[in-house]
Amino acid sequence: MRTFSPNADSVAGMDAEQAVRELMEISSQITAAIVFDADGAMLATSSEDPAASARLSAATLELVAAAADLGSEPREVTRVEVELEEGAIFVVREGAHTVAATTGPNPTSGLVVYDLRTCAQAIDAPAPKKRRARKPKEEAS
Amino acid sequence: MRKLIRLAVLTGLAVWAWRRFFRSTGSLERAGISYADGSAVVLDPGSAAFERLASIARTTLRQ
Repeated sequence: MRTFSPNADSVAGMDAEQAVRELMEISSQITAAIVFDADGAMLATSSEDPAASARLSAATLELVAAAADLGSEPREVTRVEVELEEGAIFVVREGAHTVAATTGPNPTSGLVVYDLRTCAQAIDAPAPKKRRARKPKEEAS
Repeated sequence: MRKLIRLAVLTGLAVWAWRRFFRSTGSLERAGISYADGSAVVLDPGSAAFERLASIARTTLRQ
């Protein structure tokens, strides 16, 4: 059962590792996830196995490059999803971050994409400003 | 009791017939891409573009 309640204040301004941890918690369908910055550098991964992370990282960048090159001229890709019998890979680019995830067979695509977008937005969003406590007015003497 | 058994058998037959004759038998494999300009494409299995993306995805999913 999904127990996610999108609350902008609670997810805004979190770092990439925290966002990936939260993504893995809220989505039971996602088996692995990875986050990149705008330059394609890996910021965080759900996997503790460096080889698995490297494979997912390479596949993500390769998928985005292949998707961009379809058609007559290269275009900026915002989402790639490949669903196969053995599982699926989703890549979502939102703002300055790209989030990719693998799932098992027959995932609920809409939910997975929504979760990836939420994850990317959480990293992009600026941290909420702390409000200063008002000083009590000094009594005029 | 007989009526109940008959109803259960008929329900089972109906479910089997539905799955046998009406369920889609097509491949569930597919790929989709969205672009920043708002356009999107859905790639069907068998197309060269689908096979290219699928081969990249398979290497990761099978390991």
